[in-house]
Amino acid sequence: MKSSGERILTTHVGSLIRPPLLLQLAVAAKERPAEQQKYLDALREATVAVVKRQGEAGVDIVNDGEYGKSSWANYVLSRMTGFEPRPDTLYEAVWLGRDRFRFKEFMAKEFPRGVKGSPGDACVGPIKYRGHDSIRHNIDDLKAALKSADVAEGFLTAVAPASTGYDAVNEFYGSEREYVFAIAEALREEYLEIYNAGLVLQVDDAVLANMYDELVQKSPQHYRDWAELRVEALNHALRGIPEDRIRYHICFGSWHVPHVADAPLEAIVDLMLSVRAGAYSIEAGNVRHEHEWRVWEKVKLPAGKILIPGVITHHTTTVEHPRLVADRIIQFARLVGRENVIAGTDCGFAQSEGVQRVHPQVMWAKLEALAEGARIASRELWGRKAA
Amino acid sequence: MTRSTDRILTTHVGSLVRPPELVEYISAIEKGLAVDMKAFDALLQKKVDEVVKRQEQAGIDIVSDGEFGKFRSWSFYVHDRLEGIEERDAQAPRGAGRDQKKFPEFYAEYFPTQKLPKRGTIVCVAPLRYKGQAAVQKDIDIFKTALKGANVAAGFLPVVAPASAVPFSKNEYYKNDEEFLFALADALHEEYAAIVKAGLYVQVDDAFLPYMYDVAFGGEDLAGFRKWAELRVEAVNRALKGIPEEKVRYHICWGSFNTPHTSDIALKDIVDLVLKVKAGAYCIEMGNPRHEHEWRVWENVKLPAGRILVPGVISHSTNVVEHPELVAERLVRLAKLVGRENVMGGTDCGFAQSPHVKRVHESIMWAKLEALAEGARIASRELWGRKAA
Repeated sequence: MKSSGERILTTHVGSLIRPPLLLQLAVAAKERPAEQQKYLDALREATVAVVKRQGEAGVDIVNDGEYGKSSWANYVLSRMTGFEPRPDTLYEAVWLGRDRFRFKEFMAKEFPRGVKGSPGDACVGPIKYRGHDSIRHNIDDLKAALKSADVAEGFLTAVAPASTGYDAVNEFYGSEREYVFAIAEALREEYLEIYNAGLVLQVDDAVLANMYDELVQKSPQHYRDWAELRVEALNHALRGIPEDRIRYHICFGSWHVPHVADAPLEAIVDLMLSVRAGAYSIEAGNVRHEHEWRVWEKVKLPAGKILIPGVITHHTTTVEHPRLVADRIIQFARLVGRENVIAGTDCGFAQSEGVQRVHPQVMWAKLEALAEGARIASRELWGRKAA
Repeated sequence: MTRSTDRILTTHVGSLVRPPELVEYISAIEKGLAVDMKAFDALLQKKVDEVVKRQEQAGIDIVSDGEFGKFRSWSFYVHDRLEGIEERDAQAPRGAGRDQKKFPEFYAEYFPTQKLPKRGTIVCVAPLRYKGQAAVQKDIDIFKTALKGANVAAGFLPVVAPASAVPFSKNEYYKNDEEFLFALADALHEEYAAIVKAGLYVQVDDAFLPYMYDVAFGGEDLAGFRKWAELRVEAVNRALKGIPEEKVRYHICWGSFNTPHTSDIALKDIVDLVLKVKAGAYCIEMGNPRHEHEWRVWENVKLPAGRILVPGVISHSTNVVEHPELVAERLVRLAKLVGRENVMGGTDCGFAQSPHVKRVHESIMWAKLEALAEGARIASRELWGRKAA
């Protein structure tokens, strides 16, 4: 993967806000199979446009905005056998940790899912990957788009085992280990498709961090056991894929909630670093995690690895000042080396089709501020000659 | 002024989310409905008692009344307290600055969600006089009663600055703008003086001073804006005449709307004007991503001796609650520049600019104020060593 050899490169976490027309066509295609081709054509066109737009905003390492997926994690359930929807069962939002109790009244008003739970899925049969056509469409669309865009590299996101079916239960496999490894084997096929296509693979794993608060209430070891199994399964799924083709993203959930119950990065950083990836994408651009740059005063980023801190966030409509972006980048560069930092975002801007964490105009202004901040940082870190 | 002699003290900008029972009364009174004012006053006292106590529990040292007794907004409450103006039906043009031009679709979606009241144009038609003596005395009495029951360092009451009292107005009485502004300043002086005379700190709120750069000067005419602002700073000082500086705090911000803020004027371009205001403390936004980097302004600008800086180290512009370690980091880096005894921990702006607004849910507001206090404790330990009080 490309690294910041002569200037700070920029990227983001993946999901971008879908155009309204594309959303309409996606709905139509689901209802009427005859409309499918029309949707696929529009998807190709929208992917080409969003890749170009990222290039214009000054983003170096770009993706398809996840336009071809229904959501960052649950998209994969329809690409696998074995799961069936349970629309009438509400799964408790355990991934919010204790925030769902402390801020119950707020949740009831502004994030009802946090107190009511959400409908989910159940695993009722053997898990096998069957999303080959879908992922190949995603790959072809992105590769076609990259041809006409002025960018450094392309990446595609795929979900991690820990984050697969976060509102789902296993009713089929005899043990948790069998279940998690079955998911991992299925996901491996998607990972391999992306890798074999020559694209950078980003594995998204918000849930690894999200489950911390809930599980440590029982005991810290309880969380470790849960998480270590899933990291082991992920590494199993990634076997054979060169580390420098893999980015691993964790975050603390993109919901605009207080996040007081978030895991401290220092409690999970070793788990993150045990994932065999070449780059780690983490939140550092919002007020709950901004101070965690200090973690890298004590923790050594292994040689050859890249850190992608979030230096802009979806958590506020206020657009980051490029000087702040530069300050944040430089702070990381001084600790882990300028060539080991790529400037990124806290999380995606649209975790599922209909969601927008900020208005699309604000999202693009933020990505432009990211690029401008990276230019300022590059000048300061490399001197005037920064490319 | 109460200052951070052995630890970093905490305060905030003033407005806090009103309890629903109070909003019900206020809405009725604003609509001109018949209301049992005795019952309202009793409820108001009870709610101010509670909010003062709650601030103490959250760890706030210098507290306000939450602006619970004000109608309309932090700025327009004063219209009921002034003689010589009238509100005309015509919808005043809301400024359309560069930010609004840059993000038209965003603003088209955002403003309707704010349920902004229809606002007429304020026109000055006769000599300006302050007639709010009873209203401000009521604020003072209720607040002082509440303070008696709380263990806090001090209390402040926010008031509006001349530039922010009638930001989009017409003058049909005075010869020129300057005369109009100075007459307004003289009227507002009465309110300021009454608060200080009562032994409270007065905080002069002037959000419109920086905000007008974008909405009235297109975010580009710096010279024109500065000339406009200089006269308004003169007006604030006229309104403060005779009031000891150490009893005065001056607050500026760039507007509390949760908008992109890309055209906000840089602090470095107005800091000299701000420091001309004869105040003992300056409350300035520094806790959101558009202004956070501006702590560096104090690398080049000297805070005059004896003055206090109250940076916003928590913000209303995100639901995410600031980590106390971040709060501490923000306080410590500023303390290293201007001296620990010259820094207090504050907020970017209020949390409820009118009785009908809440920038974040009240439970989040309180969690943020608690994070502020916790961050100040961490900073105090770092700045004073273990013995920080």
